Amino acid sequence: MSSRRPVVTGLGIITAAGCGVSAVWDALRSNRSGLGPLTLFASPRYGRHQVGQVQVDVDQLAGVARGSRSDKLAWIAARDAIAQSGLAALADGAGADRKGVLLGSTVAGMLGTEEVFGRLLRGQRRRFAPMRYHECASATDLCARRLGACGPTATFSTACSAGALAIATAADLIENGELDAVLAGGADSLSRLTLNGFGSLLLLDPGGCRPFDAARAGISLGEGAAMLVLEAEETACARGARILARLSGWGASCDATHPTAPNPQGDGAAAAMQQALQRSGLSPSDIGCVIAHGTGTPDNDVMEARALRRVFGGAVPPFASVKRFFGHTLAASGAVKAVVCVQALGEQAVPANLGFENGDPKIGFEPTRAFQSRRLKHVLSNSFGFGGNNVVLVFSCPCSDPASTLVSVPRRPSAMPLAVLGAGLVSAGGHTMASVRTALAAGGVTPAWLESSAPFPLGRMRGYTCGHFGASGVISPDRRRRLGHLQQMALVAAKRCLPQGLPGWLSPDRACVAIGTGLGCLGETAAFVENMLKNEERAPLAGRFANSVHNACASQLAIEFNLRGLNSTSTHREISFEVALWHCASELRQGRADLALAGAADELSPYAQAVGHRWGWWNQNAPVIRPFSRELKGRQRPLPGEGAAVFTLARAGQASSPLALLRSVHFGRFVTPAGGPPEAQTEASWIRETLERDGVSLASVDLLLTGASGRPPWDDAYREVASALSVLRGHEVSLGAYKHVSGEHHSASAFGFFVALGLVRGEIEPALCLAGMPTAATVARPPRTVLLYTLAPGGSHALCCVCA
Amino acid sequence: MQSLTDELKNKIIKALNLDKIAPADIKDDEPLFGTGLGLDSLDALDLVSMLERDYGILIQDMEAARQAFASYRTLEDFVQRNRR
Repeated sequence: MSSRRPVVTGLGIITAAGCGVSAVWDALRSNRSGLGPLTLFASPRYGRHQVGQVQVDVDQLAGVARGSRSDKLAWIAARDAIAQSGLAALADGAGADRKGVLLGSTVAGMLGTEEVFGRLLRGQRRRFAPMRYHECASATDLCARRLGACGPTATFSTACSAGALAIATAADLIENGELDAVLAGGADSLSRLTLNGFGSLLLLDPGGCRPFDAARAGISLGEGAAMLVLEAEETACARGARILARLSGWGASCDATHPTAPNPQGDGAAAAMQQALQRSGLSPSDIGCVIAHGTGTPDNDVMEARALRRVFGGAVPPFASVKRFFGHTLAASGAVKAVVCVQALGEQAVPANLGFENGDPKIGFEPTRAFQSRRLKHVLSNSFGFGGNNVVLVFSCPCSDPASTLVSVPRRPSAMPLAVLGAGLVSAGGHTMASVRTALAAGGVTPAWLESSAPFPLGRMRGYTCGHFGASGVISPDRRRRLGHLQQMALVAAKRCLPQGLPGWLSPDRACVAIGTGLGCLGETAAFVENMLKNEERAPLAGRFANSVHNACASQLAIEFNLRGLNSTSTHREISFEVALWHCASELRQGRADLALAGAADELSPYAQAVGHRWGWWNQNAPVIRPFSRELKGRQRPLPGEGAAVFTLARAGQASSPLALLRSVHFGRFVTPAGGPPEAQTEASWIRETLERDGVSLASVDLLLTGASGRPPWDDAYREVASALSVLRGHEVSLGAYKHVSGEHHSASAFGFFVALGLVRGEIEPALCLAGMPTAATVARPPRTVLLYTLAPGGSHALCCVCA
Repeated sequence: MQSLTDELKNKIIKALNLDKIAPADIKDDEPLFGTGLGLDSLDALDLVSMLERDYGILIQDMEAARQAFASYRTLEDFVQRNRR
C-alpha cells in the first residue's frame, strides 16, 4: 500500500527571480529579489509599481509558436520538470493513460484577451486570434499534448491556491491508483486585469511587498510557472527515478466567510493545516519550516499568523514568505512554494522572509530574517485564495521513515457507488424535470435573439438563454445586488437542489463543493476590463473584479450554505462538470466529506460569443441545434447556450431514498493526430475498461447520452463510438442527446446529467432523447443505466454512469 | 448643499446597486457599514471608485476611507472638502 504514495521526481520553475531551479535557489540563497519595473505593457496608473515580471524572452525560450504568455511560461517549467524526472524517455505511448496533467490557472490568456478588447474599443480591425488561448485549459492541453499524457487531465481555478490544489489533486489520483505519473503545478502571466483588480481592492504596495512586516501595505503582483512531476513510489522506483521528496499530506478547506477577504481568525487556514498534518501522520513539532502564503496584505498576514499560532501553539517553526522574491504569482504561487519546499528539503536550508524589517505587534512573532541552514525532515506550505479557498501541502525528505509518516487509511476504490440526493437546474429548457421533459418532447427550445454591445459590437446573435430564472424569488435583494449573472444562476440552481437546506447531521467542515465552469464569470470580467480600458485605469470597479474570478460561484455556494470542506473550481473546457463531479466523488469515497455539492455553470454574453467566435465553436447564424442531423456545414458551429446545474451527493449507505446512483465518473484525454474527434475503437475500449474497473458491465448500459449538437465530425464520432460499443457487447447501444435544449456551452454536460437522472427515474421517456436519432434499438422503459459521455475539442473526454 | 445631498445619495445607490433603497432611506447620521445600510468592505471599495469617477477624489488606502465612510454626513463633508 505504501508504494502508491506520491513522490516528487522532477521540478521546473520560471519566475522573476530566475529561470530554472538552480537560478531560483541562487536568488533565495543570496536574498536577491526579482521585483522590478513593469515593461510588459503600459499601465497609466500602476506603471511605476514594482512587479515580479519574468525577464527572459519567454517566446524564444518556450520555443512554442502558439499560445498565451501563461501557456509559454507553463511549458518552460513543464519541460524542465519532465526532463529532470526522466519521464520523457517514456513518452512514446507506453502507459500514456497512466500519465496526466493537472494545472492551476486563473489569469490564463487574459493578457491577450485584453488586447482584443482594446482593439475593439478603439474601433481597430478585429483580430480575435488571441482568444484562442483565453481559456484556463489552454496551458494544460499544451503540456498534456507534448507530454503525450492520456490519463486524467484537468485545470483548476481556485484563484491564488489553484496551483496547490492541482498538486493535492494529483496526489489523490496517484493514491487512488488512477495515475502513475502526473505533471502538476500552475502558471499565470501578469495582466492589466489583475494589476488593476488588486489595485481596485487597495491591495498593492507600490514599492514592493513586505510580508509580515509592521508597515506592510499589500502585494506585489508577479508572474511565472512552477511544475512538479509526481509519481507513485512503486512506479518511480521501478524505473529507477531519483526521488527528490515525498508529498506526505495535504489539506483543503473553505473559509465560507467573504468573496475576497480571509476569515480574520484564520479558521479555514488552521483547519487546512491540521488536516494536512493529520493525513501526513505528523505532529506539529515534526514540521521543520513553513513556506507561508504571506502575501504582504495587512489582513492575510495577521490571519495567517493567527492560524500558525493555533496549529503550532508557542512553538511556531521558522517560517518565511517568498513573495518579495517572486511577487504574487497567483495560480502559480502554490506550485512555486512547492518547488521551494522540495528544494529546501534537498538543500537543508530555509530561505529568508525578504522584505521583513520590523515585527508587527498584532502578530507577535517573526519570520526568518536570513537564509539559514537547518536540518529539515518535513516542511509545510500554505496557499490561500479568494473565496477562502485554502490548500496546504506537506513535503518530506525522501529518506524519511515511511512507517512513521504513513497513515494506514485504506483507499476506497472508484467503484464505490454514490447517492445523488438532490438536483437543481437553471436552463433554457426551464428548471424542473417537467419543463425539461416538455422541451425535449417539443424537439428542442427556440433560441432567443440577443443584442451585443460594447466592448463586443458583434451584431445580433441567437442563443439558448435562461431568460428570467427566478433569482429574485430565491436570493435576497441585498445578496443579489453584489452577484454577477453566473453566480446568480449557480446560486439559484444550488438553492433548488437544497430546498430544505442542509441535513441536520452534517458538520460544515465535512461538506465540500466543486463547480465546473469553462469560461467563468465573463460578464463581470468584461465590465471590469471595459471600464479599465475606457477610463485609462481610473475609477476601477472593485466589486466586478471580486466577481470576475472563476471560483466566485463555488465560494458563493460555500458562503450561502456554510460549507467548509474542499472548495474546488474546475475549468477544463466541456468536461469541467465531470471533473467537478469526480472531485466530489473522491472526497466522499475517501471519507473526507459526508456531503458534496457538484455542479457547473456557464453564461452566454457577447464576451462568450467573442471567445467562441475565434475558437470556432459558436456561430450566431447557425440553425437551431438538431443532434445527429449533420445540418452544420464546414466551419459552422452550433448555437451557444448557458445554464447551471447543481447536485448533492453522499455515500450510498448514508442516504435514504436517493434520486439515483452515480456508479462511475472518469475523465481523461484522447489522442488524435489532427486535433479532431477520437478514434472510435480506442474510445469504446476506454469506456468498457473504465466501466468494468468500477464494476459496471457494458451490457447493462441502456442509453449512451452524448453531447451531440449537429456538428458532423463530432456527432459522427459519438455515433461511431456507439457502434463500436455495440460490436464489443454484441447488441446495439442506443444513442441520445440533450443539446437541442441546453444549447452548446461548456457546462452543458451538467444539464445532460440532469436529463440522465430523469431517464433512470422514469420521469423522461427515453424516446424523447432519441427523437431524430439514428437508432434501431428499443430502450427499456425506464432505462436502468444511462452513460453520459462527453467529448471536448482540445482532446478531453469524460463519462459518468447514472443508475436507478 | 441640498443638491449635493440628493446627488450623492443617488450616486451611492447607483454605485452599490441598492435598487430597493430610496435616497431618503440613507439616514444622515447612521453608519453606512456594519449596521445602518449594512454595507461591507467591497461596497466601500465601490464607493472609493465612485468618488474618484464623479468627484475626482483619489483614495489610496482604506484608513482614509474608513474615516470618511463613518456615516453619510461624514462622507458628504469629505466630498465637500475634497472634490475637484
